[in-house]
Amino acid sequence: MDPGGASRRSSRSAETWRGHIIQQLKHRDRIQSAMFRDLIRFYTGLLEKTSLTKGFLSGSGRPPAESCARSSLQQLKKTTGELAYKVWELQQQITVKECDLQELQTRLQKEGGRLAEASEAKRALRDEVEQVRQKNKTLKAAYDALLQRQREAESKLREEKEKEERVLEDMMHQKKQAAARMNHRNERRSRARQATVQKQLQTAARSKVIVDSSPSTPTSRSTSPKPEDQDKSGGRGATRLFRSASASSPRFFSSIREMFDRKRRGHSVRSLEEDLPFPVGICLSARVPVRPLQVLEAHEQGINAVRFSFGSDLLATGGTDRVIKLWDVRAGSLTHRATLDGSTEGITCVEFDHTGRRILAASHNKSALLWRLDDSVPKVTLTGHSRKVTAARFTCVPHQVVTGSTDRTVRLWDLNRAACVQQGEVASFCSDLVCSDSRIISGHFDCKIRVWDSRTVSCVQELPSQGRVTSLDLSSDRRQLLSCCRDDCLQLLDLRWTNDRMCFRADGFKCGGDSTKAVISPDGCYLAAGSADGAVYIWNVSTGGLEARLPDQHSSSITAVSWSLSGEHFVSVDRSRRAVLWSDI
Amino acid sequence: MLLHRLVAVSPMLLCACFCLVSFPPNLLQLLLPRVSYLPVVTDKVKKHFLKVMRPEDVEEMWFEYEGTPLKWHYPIGVLFDLHASNTVLPWNITVHFKNFPDQDLLHCPSNSIVEAHFMSSIKEADSLKHKSQVVNDMQKKDHKQLWMGLQNDKFDQFWAMNRKLMEYPTEDGGFRYIPFRIYQTLSDRPFIQKLFRPVSPDCNAHTLGDLLKEMYPDALTNDGEQKRYQVLIHGIEPLLETPLQWLSEHLSHPDNFLHICVVPVPTD
Repeated sequence: MDPGGASRRSSRSAETWRGHIIQQLKHRDRIQSAMFRDLIRFYTGLLEKTSLTKGFLSGSGRPPAESCARSSLQQLKKTTGELAYKVWELQQQITVKECDLQELQTRLQKEGGRLAEASEAKRALRDEVEQVRQKNKTLKAAYDALLQRQREAESKLREEKEKEERVLEDMMHQKKQAAARMNHRNERRSRARQATVQKQLQTAARSKVIVDSSPSTPTSRSTSPKPEDQDKSGGRGATRLFRSASASSPRFFSSIREMFDRKRRGHSVRSLEEDLPFPVGICLSARVPVRPLQVLEAHEQGINAVRFSFGSDLLATGGTDRVIKLWDVRAGSLTHRATLDGSTEGITCVEFDHTGRRILAASHNKSALLWRLDDSVPKVTLTGHSRKVTAARFTCVPHQVVTGSTDRTVRLWDLNRAACVQQGEVASFCSDLVCSDSRIISGHFDCKIRVWDSRTVSCVQELPSQGRVTSLDLSSDRRQLLSCCRDDCLQLLDLRWTNDRMCFRADGFKCGGDSTKAVISPDGCYLAAGSADGAVYIWNVSTGGLEARLPDQHSSSITAVSWSLSGEHFVSVDRSRRAVLWSDI
Repeated sequence: MLLHRLVAVSPMLLCACFCLVSFPPNLLQLLLPRVSYLPVVTDKVKKHFLKVMRPEDVEEMWFEYEGTPLKWHYPIGVLFDLHASNTVLPWNITVHFKNFPDQDLLHCPSNSIVEAHFMSSIKEADSLKHKSQVVNDMQKKDHKQLWMGLQNDKFDQFWAMNRKLMEYPTEDGGFRYIPFRIYQTLSDRPFIQKLFRPVSPDCNAHTLGDLLKEMYPDALTNDGEQKRYQVLIHGIEPLLETPLQWLSEHLSHPDNFLHICVVPVPTD
């Protein structure tokens, strides 16, 4: 089926039959109606006229009225028809308009809805904005507060920094001042020393010296003080008490040599003579002191320790006033020779070394100090204890020192390095120490005496004691150990037969303090101790009884006593700064 | 539309001849529309003849031509084509006021009967065309408008409504069935009316020739023969290849039927 062809054919044929139909209709009209139209019109007009005239003639007005009424009726019918048509048309328009109206209303509703939504959204956004603003405000307030605090803190920091600087400055200034003072003093001392040395040189160059060494009169040496000083300082090792190889010239030369050696500055405390082993002096007889030769106020505060040197011509006293004073013992009197300072706190114990040229002291400032006799400034300071050092001794090993302290340790020090070599822990305070050949003996607050091996610093033996040990002393032959106890008793032990003990008491003898010192006489026959009542008590070892009591010289308790090695002199010191020199002469 | 006007407005001359034994012959000449019905347009006739007659003699009016009573429910054009198509105009009809032939004619006491008949024809036609959907959608005032348009001879008024009845959905290609009636002069049957589709199953448009071939093949002239019958619609002979759908839309009578008259060809 070819629609195009059919439509073309149909359109051609459509025109054919359509045209045919129109033609036919027109023809029919011509024939059937057009001819008669006008005729009929005239005819109808005539007819009406005749009927009208008939009506008039017959004299009845009814038919025309009737015909009029009928025609008007027909007219009315026609108008109703027309009006009905118009009504219909208007109704069509109304429906169309109503459709439009409906559409517009729906659109309006939609827009109204959208508007409501938009205003809702706007309100919500406004609220959010408000909230955010509030939060902002609070945050800002917090920030301001923090800023304020930070500023205040910064200003405080600045103030503190300034204060710190000032304090630092003050400290530095003070330290500088102290250092200047020290320097000044050192300088003065060195200058003085230089001056004396010069003078000595001059006098030595000018005069000849005859030195006579006698075993029983060590004090005769003091007749020629200057050269003796020189000798002492120069060749202490050679001037042993009881070996008098005295040729003046070699000593002279050695002392000159010593001077030049001394010029060598250095921290070494060694010198030639010091290394020589020393002989042990033996006292032939110790004499019981009878009367005081001299009483003097030795220190500014209480005196804690006193010691004769092995040469029996020097006395060292140490006290709470932080200095050690050296005294020459000559012709029955003590003359002040030198003062050794450098300790920052009180001295508890003093010892000379075997050459007599070095002094070791234990001090409250937790250290032990070593001086060389001509230096007033300590050569070596041994620090390491944590509490006060109660005793410091030279051991038999050269350049070794042992210290005991209330920090419950016993330490072994090497002097060359000034360092602690070994340390032994004890359970109790060590109050005193003595050294024998290879042993260290310490006395403790727990009523025990401990014997240590000096090589390993280990406790070998423990010996009980009557009470708290306040001091220890070893006899010259190293066989007897004297311990002084707090319960007013002295105990003498034989070191070889430790069970062999002797106890000494006396009426009125009271131990004055925790560090009261008691000594054995150099010949081992007597014991001496100072009491709290200011009297010196002397016992006889062989009898076990009190030999002598020497009161009235001290007004306070005696802290320490010392017997000179020659046996002639005896010194006691007490808490009220007094030192008394006794003798039996 | 031009065609519609031509069809509808062209009236036809009608001559009423009065023949009464007792009265002298009275003539009335009228121009009657083809598409209308006799009772609607003949009020004047009644009025005119009542003037000359005694009231007691007047009964129901009826018309006859050459002895055949004219059925008032046919459109006037159909009556003319059927009875006097080839006669000389004016067409002489005789009007009678007595002796109503009850066997041949239906009574028509008033115009409302005509209106009812007219409306029923329209509904019947629409039931064939659109399964009565269109006519049922129309309101009562629309029906009234159709009748008034016909009665008062108002072309626009009538066609404003009738247009809807002539619409069809484009995918169908035409009405469901074509409403037509084929009138024959020499037959007992009043008319032929059957179901006939405007479009063939293979989408060809049916023509007038197809319809006649289907319904009344004698009307067609075979090749070589002499023409025996005339096929008249509205007094004209359309070509046999005219599409039936078009004819139904444009050459239907106001009652939406396609009235086809088949008359023998005049011999003289």
